[in-house]
Amino acid sequence: MSALLELSGVSVAIGNVALVDRISLRVEAGRILGLVGESGSGKSLTAMAAMGLLPLIGGRVTEGEVRFAGRDMAGMSDAERRALRGRRIGFVTQNPMTALDPVQRIGAQVDIVSRLHLRLTKAAARARTLDLLTQLRIPDAAAVVDAYPHQLSGGMKQRIVIAMALAGDPELIIADEPTTALDVTVQAQIIQILGALVRDRGLALLLITHDMGVIAQICDRVAVLYSGRLVEEGPVGPIFANPAHPYTAALIDCIPQEGMAKRSLRGIPGAVPSALAFPPGCRFHPRCRRATETCRDDAPPLLPLGAGSVACHHAGPP
Amino acid sequence: MSEPLIRTEGLTKRFRSGGGLFSRERVMTAVRDVTLEIARGEVLGVVGESGCGKSTLARLILRLIETTEGSVVFDGTELTALPPTALRAMRKRMAMVFQDPYSSLDPRFTLAEVLAEPFRVQGHDLPNDAVPAMLAAVGLPEALATSYPHQLSGGQRQRVGIARALALHPDLVVLDEPTASLDVSIQAQIIALLADLRDKMGLTYLFISHDLGLVRYFCDRIVVMYLGSVVEVLPNTQAAPRHPYTDALMRSGFAPDPARRREIVPLGGEIPSPFALPAGCAFATRCAFASDRCRRERPPLSQGLSHPVACFHPL
Ligand SMILES: Nc1ncnc2c1ncn2[C@@H]1O[C@H](COP(=O)(O)OP(=O)(O)O)[C@@H](O)[C@H]1O
Ligand SMILES: Nc1ncnc2c1ncn2[C@@H]1O[C@H](COP(=O)(O)OP(=O)(O)O)[C@@H](O)[C@H]1O
Ligand code: SF4
Ligand SMILES: [Mg+2]
Ligand SMILES: [Mg+2]
Repeated sequence: MSALLELSGVSVAIGNVALVDRISLRVEAGRILGLVGESGSGKSLTAMAAMGLLPLIGGRVTEGEVRFAGRDMAGMSDAERRALRGRRIGFVTQNPMTALDPVQRIGAQVDIVSRLHLRLTKAAARARTLDLLTQLRIPDAAAVVDAYPHQLSGGMKQRIVIAMALAGDPELIIADEPTTALDVTVQAQIIQILGALVRDRGLALLLITHDMGVIAQICDRVAVLYSGRLVEEGPVGPIFANPAHPYTAALIDCIPQEGMAKRSLRGIPGAVPSALAFPPGCRFHPRCRRATETCRDDAPPLLPLGAGSVACHHAGPP
Repeated sequence: MSEPLIRTEGLTKRFRSGGGLFSRERVMTAVRDVTLEIARGEVLGVVGESGCGKSTLARLILRLIETTEGSVVFDGTELTALPPTALRAMRKRMAMVFQDPYSSLDPRFTLAEVLAEPFRVQGHDLPNDAVPAMLAAVGLPEALATSYPHQLSGGQRQRVGIARALALHPDLVVLDEPTASLDVSIQAQIIALLADLRDKMGLTYLFISHDLGLVRYFCDRIVVMYLGSVVEVLPNTQAAPRHPYTDALMRSGFAPDPARRREIVPLGGEIPSPFALPAGCAFATRCAFASDRCRRERPPLSQGLSHPVACFHPL
């Protein structure tokens, strides 16, 4: 099946600092790809690259290709790329307040997306907005459209941002840590909504999170990033059952679970390196229990493994 | 049975807001009638969603803010009525670690200065080897003593926050979401460190978190709060929840195991405003089991069941 969004060997730099190193990802219609890794691993930059938004923060793709529905985004005009965002790609950020205008009523903010991208009339746009809010189970949508963002709870605001992302009737949603700032009961609600959108409408979803529990709950495949590099990618079943990369295994082992013996959580030693001082060889080697001489000298290539791929000199069960 | 280290009785805190020229004064109850005990050497967890009153409860227990009603007894001494000098002496025995290692450390001070601060405040001389020993105790290299907070990673900063809290060998340490702004990989390191330090120093912890999974892993007993009130006290980490809210919290977390996916049944209803709490059970607006009685009457924290639960229809 052809991918809706495909990154092939994409590298990203800001100024002359290389931050993302040859990442390849595919997101298909009706599927959820999870992108996971500690903070600073390059998840948001990868999302910005996928949306052609890097110039906003002074960054650029230095290598590789980003294709949407088969077309290379580098070959598009600015106007074409702008039309793609909102119309065919919806975006949901971690903090709903960065996406919402505090001094504009909710209804107007959602309406504008379908007026702009679907050329709907004012009345048709409002009808669409009300319909979307109702589908997202926002109680009393007719009153909410007249409210200002500060009058709504965090979970409600995030549902409004999702409504804005959906208003242009996109094929792909990119959600960058959409539940990180929310309480767990609200997180469950948002995750359920995102899962249902993919199931019922055949949307493609690129879901960025640092929560391995969320990945296990709704993603079809997962891509694990470490220090700007893809270290493992594949279907969630085999990856959670038998993570081949020591970093993937360590990330899963960091989560406190039901029935876990006290004192069994130890975490991953050390910290994510700064982009100004990535270690040579495998970037994970200073924190890795399996590291050998080879790991310190040579970067492990990303090689196929089962239905996925892994980049480790000592890949396999611990 | 020995005297608990901490005992609170009917602890209540109300905040007033507005009351200026143009707004009517409004009163909200951030902590409502909380009675609890913390045994010596225990790790007591307090869990609940943001705004439920966890930090306010912590501040009341340390008497960093004044109580509206109720009392706190620390090792047999009533704190709520203690005069300032006696309170300062008592403060040596309690410490707090905050969520945000970025804002809780003064950026102008080196780590050596940060760690010397508690001695200065209490008017104690700083023993020569104190700073290196404190750094070593939290797993930081001695060479960091001359660094500034911004030169450290988030995990290292939180280690400094812990070292500072332990400087004067307190009995009680209140940990207010100490890992909430850290990655899980670093959270696990910090939790392991806290467990080691507790064993070595015989500490008592009040551990606050919004993460029930984490609290169940780390704590001995767990207090569950909702909108300022204690709704359940889980006597151990295995106990099944009996309050519908605790149950909902448990069902909201996802196990990192695709084989254990489950249908998500989100809580419906809206959270009432803390300025206008309903007459009955505060959870009734979101509870699947709510009856007329729940909406009318406030369920007390009942002692008759397997463990304390404030619900008319416990699971
Ligand atoms: N605007 C920027 N300027 C300079 N460096 C940046 C910028 N945005 C991100 N970075 C750096 O790029 C790396 C990856 O960042 P990011 O993609 O935001 O990580 P993640 O989303 O995984 O937490 C980090 O080391 C971060 O410091
Ligand atoms: N100094 C204050 N003045 C007014 N309201 C406050 C103050 N401190 C906390 N509150 C309110 O009390 C409630 C409980 O807050 P807090 O104890 O910080 O909750 P938590 O730590 O569980 O997130 C919240 O609604 C908060 O807005
Ligand atoms: S390549 Fe070596 S250092 Fe890197 S993850 Fe694999 S074993 Fe660890
Ligand atoms: Mg990010
Ligand atoms: Mg708090």
